[in-house]
Amino acid sequence: MTEPAKVDPVFTLGELVAETYEIRSLLGSGGMGEVYEARDRSLNRRVALKVVRPNIKRDYLLREGRALAAIHHPGVVTVHTMGEHRGILFLVLERVQGLSLDRMIDERRSRGERLGIAEALDLLVSIADTLSIVHRTGLAHRDVKPANVMLAPGGRVVLMDFGLVLPHADRAGHRTVAGSLDYMAPEALSGRLIEGEAHLLDIYGLGVLAYELLAGILPFDSGDQTQDALRAKTRSCPVLTAHRSDVPTPLSALIAQMMAAESSERPQSAEAALWQLRALRGRLGSEGSARPFAVLIVDDDPDMRSALTLYVRAAAPDAEVEAIGDGRHAIRSVRRRVPDLLLLDLDLPDINGIEVCMLLRGMHLGDSCMIVSVSARATRADVELLQQLGVRSFEKGPNLMGELVTLVQRMRPR
Amino acid sequence: MTEARDELEKLLAAARADFASRLADKVSELRDLASRGAWSEARRAAHKLRGSAATYGFAKIGAAAATMEDILIDASTSPNDDAKARFATALAEARIESERVRVGSP
Repeated sequence: MTEPAKVDPVFTLGELVAETYEIRSLLGSGGMGEVYEARDRSLNRRVALKVVRPNIKRDYLLREGRALAAIHHPGVVTVHTMGEHRGILFLVLERVQGLSLDRMIDERRSRGERLGIAEALDLLVSIADTLSIVHRTGLAHRDVKPANVMLAPGGRVVLMDFGLVLPHADRAGHRTVAGSLDYMAPEALSGRLIEGEAHLLDIYGLGVLAYELLAGILPFDSGDQTQDALRAKTRSCPVLTAHRSDVPTPLSALIAQMMAAESSERPQSAEAALWQLRALRGRLGSEGSARPFAVLIVDDDPDMRSALTLYVRAAAPDAEVEAIGDGRHAIRSVRRRVPDLLLLDLDLPDINGIEVCMLLRGMHLGDSCMIVSVSARATRADVELLQQLGVRSFEKGPNLMGELVTLVQRMRPR
Repeated sequence: MTEARDELEKLLAAARADFASRLADKVSELRDLASRGAWSEARRAAHKLRGSAATYGFAKIGAAAATMEDILIDASTSPNDDAKARFATALAEARIESERVRVGSP
């Protein structure tokens, strides 16, 4: 919701809505609608009641209700039911108690404090996890920003306000500018959205949120939102480490990638961002320690093992490199010690590379490990499946060395 | 820094030369597997050559190996006469190219 508008409240305090919900207080109010706290007299519990203003299309609330009903995840507010009272459509939601992330950022800022890297990464992992569930349902949130993230007791992080949610295959709904300008991807502003790519708007929003969480300021913040949004369209994102030197370079690079002006340059799924964030969280603490950068190379071709070892050493001469020829040994090796980077051929003689990834992800064995598939003939379906597992795909060929050297240089502790 | 870079360049050049010196053997191995009708092994060998040759900078051999692998994947268990003929053509291209690499002609 945006700036509060001076209009009459939709419901009045004490009003009994649909003979069940007794309005107790106004929790929030914006240009599009209001959220009340109410008591459900039937079930004797506190709930949140959401309504849209009479001048706003009922579709927003219908869409939000249906989207929420399709998702069951602790990171998404539960919808209890939907009803109508005095001709006004309302949504009955779980009452989530807590502090919104924007207020938390403001409070920290006012105290001159910054969020710890680990704390920020934990939050980002939770939000990315929720987004991955939302996207898997075929929906895109389209308004990811700190004000829509609630920090609830028990470490629960809840994504709120699904009023702009749309199926991510739907392009028609994106022709109007919707969302919050500071967090809005360039293609949403220009209406250049590609069908099936609405989830990349959420990746962009997550990138801006991550930047703000760590830097304490927005990446583009001149005070003029429209100008800032236009600037985001044409300019690369400011370097996070310039504002905060303790942010690991790979995290800064990932956040910049999420905010890439070209949607094709962003991580192509929330899962991909999630696994990278998890890997960064897992590696946190080992950076700067005596532990050398560890790389595991898995390829049944000795010539490829030699080439990959050379390329890794080109970028990280002091890296600890283990090179093995099959999937079973790869799993054993990761069990023994999780590498920082796993370079994995897909076509292996025993269990193939995709199965290795699924096993590692399923067993949460390599959560702190960046996995990159290196293959000569990965199909589009392979690449998409790997993306779901947060695995990047490189192709064997003349460009491999350059891609790998760049990746390793980005990953290595400064 | 420059010394390390020079050393790396030397290592890369040596690795490429070593690979080049074994290219003809790799192509011969493919021919032997095909002549024995060991199509599954031939597919795996073609797959390896496809990736490694392309990576070490021998694009034409990589492309010929890719053609051989694709033919054998399409053929599933055993290729028919047409597939065998196309395989033989790609194999011949790989042999010519590996010979060119061996004698060091441009």
